[in-house]
Amino acid sequence: MHFGATLRLLRVDAGVSLRALAQKIGVSSAYLSRVENGHDQAPTPDRLLAIARELELPPTLLIDLAQRVSPFVARYLEDVPAANSLFLEIARRKLNAAQLARVHAFLEAEFPARSVARSTTPRLHQLLAPERVILKLSCSYLGDAIDVAAVRLAGAAPGLNAAVIAGEIRERERESPTGIGHGVAVPHALTPDIQPVAALVTLARPLQVATPDDIPLQMLLVILGGGKAPLELLARAARLATPETVAELCQASSPEAALGRVRSVESEFD
Amino acid sequence: MAYLLHSPLCLLIAQLVVIIITARLLGLAARKIHQPLVIAEVVAGILLGPSLLGAVAPDVKAALFPTASLGILGMLSQVGLLLFMFLVGLEMDLGLLRGRGRASVLISHTSIVAPFALGTVLALYIYPTLMPEGVAFSSFTLFMGVAMSITAFPVLARILTERRLLRTKVGAVTITCAAVDDVTAWCILAFVVSIVRATALTEAVVTTVLAVAYTVGMLTVVRPFLARLAARGTGREGLTQNVVAFTFVLLFLSAWATELIGIHALFGAFLMGAIIPREGGFARVLAEKLEDIVVIVLLPTFFALSGLRTHIGLLNTPEAWVQCLLIIVVACLGKFGGSYVAARWTGLGWRESTALGILMNTRGLMELIVLNIGLDLGVISPTLFTMMVIMALVTTFMTTPILQLVYPPELLAQELVEPPPTDMRATLPEGFSVLMCVAFDRSGPGMAQIAGALVGKQNPADRLYGLQLHRPAERTSTLVEGGDDLESPSALDPLLARGRDHGLNVRPMSFVSGEPAHDICSVAEVKDVDLILLGWHKTLFGQALLGGMVHDVMKDAPADVAVLVSRDLGAVRRVLVPFCGSLHDEVAVRLARRMAFAIGAEITILRIRVRDANAPRVDAFLADMAADRVTVVEADDDGNSAVDLVVKAAAGQDLVILGATPLSADEIMTRCPTSFLVVHHRERPQTAARRPRPLTEPQAGAVANG
Repeated sequence: MHFGATLRLLRVDAGVSLRALAQKIGVSSAYLSRVENGHDQAPTPDRLLAIARELELPPTLLIDLAQRVSPFVARYLEDVPAANSLFLEIARRKLNAAQLARVHAFLEAEFPARSVARSTTPRLHQLLAPERVILKLSCSYLGDAIDVAAVRLAGAAPGLNAAVIAGEIRERERESPTGIGHGVAVPHALTPDIQPVAALVTLARPLQVATPDDIPLQMLLVILGGGKAPLELLARAARLATPETVAELCQASSPEAALGRVRSVESEFD
Repeated sequence: MAYLLHSPLCLLIAQLVVIIITARLLGLAARKIHQPLVIAEVVAGILLGPSLLGAVAPDVKAALFPTASLGILGMLSQVGLLLFMFLVGLEMDLGLLRGRGRASVLISHTSIVAPFALGTVLALYIYPTLMPEGVAFSSFTLFMGVAMSITAFPVLARILTERRLLRTKVGAVTITCAAVDDVTAWCILAFVVSIVRATALTEAVVTTVLAVAYTVGMLTVVRPFLARLAARGTGREGLTQNVVAFTFVLLFLSAWATELIGIHALFGAFLMGAIIPREGGFARVLAEKLEDIVVIVLLPTFFALSGLRTHIGLLNTPEAWVQCLLIIVVACLGKFGGSYVAARWTGLGWRESTALGILMNTRGLMELIVLNIGLDLGVISPTLFTMMVIMALVTTFMTTPILQLVYPPELLAQELVEPPPTDMRATLPEGFSVLMCVAFDRSGPGMAQIAGALVGKQNPADRLYGLQLHRPAERTSTLVEGGDDLESPSALDPLLARGRDHGLNVRPMSFVSGEPAHDICSVAEVKDVDLILLGWHKTLFGQALLGGMVHDVMKDAPADVAVLVSRDLGAVRRVLVPFCGSLHDEVAVRLARRMAFAIGAEITILRIRVRDANAPRVDAFLADMAADRVTVVEADDDGNSAVDLVVKAAAGQDLVILGATPLSADEIMTRCPTSFLVVHHRERPQTAARRPRPLTEPQAGAVANG
């Protein structure tokens, strides 16, 4: 995923101007603009924390997205230098996700965490359903794909018809495209009073539209309704935009398989 | 040497080889110093002429370019010039002229008047030394004026093209000015030429009048005709050779006509190029076909020819060089100064005005043509010819560096002119949209025929969608997946291909669906279509026409539904609508009437009196539907059943449009070999909260917000 594009997406949907955000976190708007356009690296963890505070996002989410070391970890290492060697051990063994899960399970069993405040926002896979997974869609315009997704979303949004939904999402897309890199876009209409639902669309033929990293679109996560934390939904969706996940989801031949994949990616994070 | 060049053809080929190689080699050098190719080609010509090759190796020059061979080379170069001017016209977008006409005319006329006046003053000074014997002073003065005021439209176009400036604002104004400039200058030149030839003044006037009449004729008669030709002749397959041949014939006829009128053949060619329609890639394909041969092979011959007539050796006194310098200064002062002042006056900024002035000062190719004409006429001496060629070279040479100085490329690039919006033609009062649902490839062409008949010439308000729904994969294993039906050519392809043949823009969509009827209805709703078109296929079990999925769609559809029973449906010319007065029948009549408007189909409404029909209402409806090409025929009640009447009337028709009730479509269909369209009136009430429909779908360029 293209971090800059994702940051811009979140900022636009939070209704914060580039200048205002830059001022609040104490950087120049030129620098922030470079970050959003991918001309500069993702900000330092401290700045990410400040951004997360301004956008009212869980800080870990943004740090995950930027693939930075969390300041919590950094601070812990300062306090307990001995932990450093443990992290080194893990790094030297190059543990993969499955092996880390086992370490994780051991930690859970041995040292149960003291009531960590976990976000109550629904996970993406909970918003999806097999009937809202559209596989191998082929069309020549992004608008058509949004329309088809809206058709399926309408089934889960009582009192709304597909045309209205599609209109809202297209309007948002027109204001600022929602491509977040690696062939993923997250068209959305974050109306707060609608229970959030999502549709997953994989494309049989990549769509040649303008994207932050110029990779044609292969997958859409269409989100309708925001609930309490709409931005968090978008940030979670952005985490799916890795080359491996996109490739696997595009290969999926049944909605259930695709859903399973989404669920397992999400479980890797939290 | 003599053996190598023993026949005229050998000689010509050898000349071409030498010319092209020299021009290309120098072209590489020119590119190094950011000069237009033109400079290299002119210099190449001069090097091959008496100035260098003639001086260094007279034997080689005499063998390679004997005087006798120059006629053939000259003709070849003239043809090259014709085609090149045609290309330049093709590159020019007449749309850019609109709205900028006044400023362009003012700038270009000022930039003619100023150098013309200065040129005549200069003539006063130089005529004692440079005017040939036996030439009237007035002719010499006038010619000097014209020679000073010429702008090199083609070279300008090439500088602009090579530096990719043609579509910037300055580029557009300049090219327009240069075009106006050249037309004016050529009118004066024609006038001067006729004076030099010392016939009557009236002849010059006649020439001007004819030229104006010719231009008007080309714009008002030939241009619309070409637009129609382009609309017909360009499919995806590109231009047929016949169309290209026809265009060339027109081009040469146009050049011929202007040559006969007396304003050089080049103008006919340019005008022809300028009026070639831009839509549908016609111009682009033509330009692609021509460009290389013209620019690489033919054009250098003209430059070489001009170079052969240039004797730099004639400038052998300091005085001659001073005069040459004076000519250059006067030329720049008149052209650059005149354009700059006029441009400032019309409200352009100093930067743009300077750029425009320096661009207008480019003389290159056009000046060479004028000078050659002057030399042929004997108005100017070879010495003056040489001086003027040097002037043309210098003014062309200085253009690029100065342009770069006052107007860096980055700045120009920012000002890319938005392409003008495409014009919209309305053929029918309102847009019509159809969702065509294709399950098998063979139903596609028939659907495209129906869609074509319903919208006629598609305008942006007419939206056509092709939808194909795949059955969900029954096996979930990904191992046996690859190379599945999705990879194979889609069933939509025949629909799209036939649509293209008819100039229809069908937007394809396909996805996997477990509930096709539901998805068809939803897509129809979200796309807000007027009609859902379904195909009908014989099924394994004797299923009724309107059963199964068709039935489900009809039940829930947010639009009228039509089921096409295509029996090799070709062009829709004659349509029968049996009319019993039901709501479905009314939809059938409306669709048929639309076909009458859209493609001029002949519609016959067969009115069948039914006992319980509301006769006054039906009468009112039919009166409302009355139109040209729509004929209402009362069915003779000769004791036959209604079905028999329809079957009898259907003979000779291309298509029968039938309401879903009350007549039995199944029964009529089995007895009738024509194609059928069975239509069903929307049952669901229109939802109140309907969004205003998107009137136009974005064109291919603006995909992102689809």
